[in-house]
Amino acid sequence: METFINPKSLFHLLLLPCLLLYSSIAYNSSPVEAAMHTNNWAVLVCTSRFWFNYRHMANTLSLYRTVKRLGIPDERIILMLADDMACNTRNKYPAQVFNNENHRLNLYGDNVEVDYRGYEVTVENFLRVLTGRHETAVPRSKRLLSDEGSHILLYMTGHGGDEFLKFQDSEELQSHDLADAVKQMKEKHRFKELLIMVDTCQAATLFNQLQSPGVLAIGSSMKGENSYSHHLDSDVGVSVVDRFTYYTLAFFERLNIYDNASLSSLFSSYNPSLLMSTTYYRKDLYKRRLEEVPVTNFFGSVMETIHTDAAYKALSRRNSGRFEDEMSLDQSVHHIKRRMLIKVNDGDEIHDINPEGEEGASKCPWSTFRNKFQKAENVDSLLNYGLVAMIPLLVISTWLVQ
Amino acid sequence: MAEISEAPDSDSSKLLGSDSKAPQRPDSEPEFDPKLMRKTKPGLKRLFLTFSVLFSFLLGFPFLWKSVEIYRSPLPFREIDSLSTQLRSDTLLFPLHFHALFVGFDSDPDRLRWSILSEITKLTSQNPKCSDNYTLSVTVDLGSRCLRGPTSSPHSSSYQCGSVTGDDFVQNDDVVVDERLASVFGGKNNEYSMAVVKGVSERAVVGKYRHAWIVVGDGSDVEMAVVKVAEVLIKVFINGGREEGLIRNEFMPVGADGKIVLSFNLLNADPHDWVYDWDFEKIDDTLLTPMIEALGTVANISVESQVLYHTPKASFSYWNQKLESYVFSTKDLPFFVNSNEWHLDTSIAAGGRSKILQFAVYVPSAKECPLLLQLPNGEISKTNGFISPMWGGVIVWNPQGCLKDSEFKPSAKNIIPIQDLENMFEVFIGQFRQLFGFKSLNVYTGASGDWNLLPSERGFTEWELDVLSRQHTCFNLHSCATTLGSLSRLVQSLPRMIIKDEIGKQVKLSLEAAKLALSNASSGVYEFSAASSSQARSLAEDAFFHPSIMSVSYYSFEHCFAVYSPFFLPVSMHVVLAALRELRRYKQEKAKYLAWKAKANTAT
Repeated sequence: METFINPKSLFHLLLLPCLLLYSSIAYNSSPVEAAMHTNNWAVLVCTSRFWFNYRHMANTLSLYRTVKRLGIPDERIILMLADDMACNTRNKYPAQVFNNENHRLNLYGDNVEVDYRGYEVTVENFLRVLTGRHETAVPRSKRLLSDEGSHILLYMTGHGGDEFLKFQDSEELQSHDLADAVKQMKEKHRFKELLIMVDTCQAATLFNQLQSPGVLAIGSSMKGENSYSHHLDSDVGVSVVDRFTYYTLAFFERLNIYDNASLSSLFSSYNPSLLMSTTYYRKDLYKRRLEEVPVTNFFGSVMETIHTDAAYKALSRRNSGRFEDEMSLDQSVHHIKRRMLIKVNDGDEIHDINPEGEEGASKCPWSTFRNKFQKAENVDSLLNYGLVAMIPLLVISTWLVQ
Repeated sequence: MAEISEAPDSDSSKLLGSDSKAPQRPDSEPEFDPKLMRKTKPGLKRLFLTFSVLFSFLLGFPFLWKSVEIYRSPLPFREIDSLSTQLRSDTLLFPLHFHALFVGFDSDPDRLRWSILSEITKLTSQNPKCSDNYTLSVTVDLGSRCLRGPTSSPHSSSYQCGSVTGDDFVQNDDVVVDERLASVFGGKNNEYSMAVVKGVSERAVVGKYRHAWIVVGDGSDVEMAVVKVAEVLIKVFINGGREEGLIRNEFMPVGADGKIVLSFNLLNADPHDWVYDWDFEKIDDTLLTPMIEALGTVANISVESQVLYHTPKASFSYWNQKLESYVFSTKDLPFFVNSNEWHLDTSIAAGGRSKILQFAVYVPSAKECPLLLQLPNGEISKTNGFISPMWGGVIVWNPQGCLKDSEFKPSAKNIIPIQDLENMFEVFIGQFRQLFGFKSLNVYTGASGDWNLLPSERGFTEWELDVLSRQHTCFNLHSCATTLGSLSRLVQSLPRMIIKDEIGKQVKLSLEAAKLALSNASSGVYEFSAASSSQARSLAEDAFFHPSIMSVSYYSFEHCFAVYSPFFLPVSMHVVLAALRELRRYKQEKAKYLAWKAKANTAT
């Protein structure tokens, strides 16, 4: 007993866990420092087709307009619209999309750049945008080129249900697919923080499986609840906006790029009785406090800037025309050559879908067998071999019957 | 089913020729009970038949299994893990050699060496990722002879005794002295040299190559020189003039495929006032090309340019009467770039994974001309420009005499004067260096005094390129290791994902390049290690971002089951049941026969 009270041993007793704690902190904090917030991206997805889903298109276009107005440029917005309402033959106001029956604002007016339109909006393309796994020919404007300092806003609207979101009325995005894509994005440091907003029925179930840190998610309704449209435009003939998006826009119409309203004020502005559903937001994965995060961190674009103090005055001796003019041309040729070189490497892979693979182990008979069907090189001859092997069995058994 | 069970009985009675079911036959043996006994041995043919069918199914099963196997190219998981642990545990070491030359001092080289080393250890910070393994040799040149310490060092023995005297430093032209020292020291890849001489005026200069020199006054002692030597070696040659040793990620703007595209844009805010053009090709040849060539090992850089019209800015400026110009402050800088109107990202040369850096020259309209940037302390900026890390830089250029509008013809095209263009591009080079984390002031203010940094025509001095190569090698290797680690974890967590051969090849090539980079780095060849490390990183990224790794195309087990079970389940059930039933029947008949045999034996 006395030894515990002894200060020296107490000191030693406390020292060891402190050392352990310190070393664990030191080990954990050394690998990656927190990156600076450098840019904002927005991925806005409308997943429904057909004329009666006009309001989903209007939702997405309204958010597109808001995000552009607050400063995010087109090159950092990926807009995916599953159908074309503006030029739909049932549209009484051609080339115009409204989100209010007063028709004050034409969302499709000017400067709208749609990156994925019509049938290009599929679950596969959506997941490719998120994870970054495109074919080499996909242009830069269709890629999410974010880096470890990016904040991404992901807005999805359409029809959904318990743990899924319906795409194009023919396929579904499941919550585990979304969680998987977000996990891969986090592994590759494709975002610093991610805000997911979903406006569908039972939206909160879509992020049940999320586990990556730095993700904040808000859904327009909880499990078992529907999300409703706001009002019907009797002139256009369909509902033109959803309640959740309508109240979101009402919040943002009061702001400009200089404002610093916080995310918690956005989240608390939703009134369940007006929305006729309960918004649910998931902030357990998000470390910062919502009162301290301005909405322009996701919805607007504020560049980090550093003043340039000095020019690099090196150039006392310059001989104009001394260097070859072809230098930059050489570089572009080199560039092209390098790209061609990459393409050549593509060509000598073995044929793509080869379900009979080769085994990793190399036992002698197995390797000869492997060599044999590498020479065979397709499925048909393998089947032939199998059938041929079965014939003796067949022969024997028929002989026995007779 | 019922028919099948009836048929064998009649078959067996036909085949075996004994009517065990005939009750009318007179009982020669009164205890013969047809239900419990039989007189002949049961045949094996039926059993054999059903079992051969079962056996053929079982034989075919491996073929079926092979045909539904997922093709996975074997990835070298162990090598990936070993690369990660190797990078994490022994920190990447770059071998460096320092050579300090003291001219005109009468000191013991070993003592000097010891004191320099102790100063260096005071200054070296703990850098967990990549650190440097340095050796130091000191030479004291007494004119007639040289004292070297350590005596057996191969590096210092390459110095010819008496090549450097105090007279070399008399003239004031730093560039000439620099060239002289370059011819003496040689400046090989990982050797840095310092010369300390006694002279008239005090001066401390870092040259363009890999050496620096200090001229100390007659009265000063050698200890102060030692402190300055240690400071320049660590803070300048190793850290590149930055406080912290490591470049942060936002100052490494190299794309994942090792390419950078520099996009130069001339923005005319209001073409109704004036339209400006520039002679880009000439300035590209003279100023940009040497710099791009110098950075060849760090990144593959290409250049494009365009001229845009109707590009107003998004922030506001106000008229300042004292300065007689329009002024915008640093608080407006984040809102300056008007992304709605500035369509900068229209590059066709950039691939999907390259990094584009935008450099924009903004020519304001007549309503806002001249436009000056005011710093928080009230001064006017000398460069009128700013950068945004990982994005690029902007310079505001005011046309000459824009307040006097009598000289301008608004519709004609004006060319930016060549002198202004050169000044502008010097600012651009400064901004480009800033994007890589280097300052462009010509003076480094250290704890023990100021150092003059000589600039280079190539935009980066040799020692700055070394710093960049080392830092980028470190960053690329770590990034490659983490990417490959993520890929291996992903692949192992999804056992039913198809992995194509191309991915396996890219992973192997990436590992080879990483090994090459590590071996080059440890032997001190920085350029090759930087090039191989960027290749390793780009291959690792290609493998990770291969378009075939998509979750929606995983061949899930439920899919396999749903496709094959409607055929195989019923059929296999029938086959197995038939075999089992035949076996049971054979056993029964055998038992009957044995019972009869026993009875017959006891009867006789």
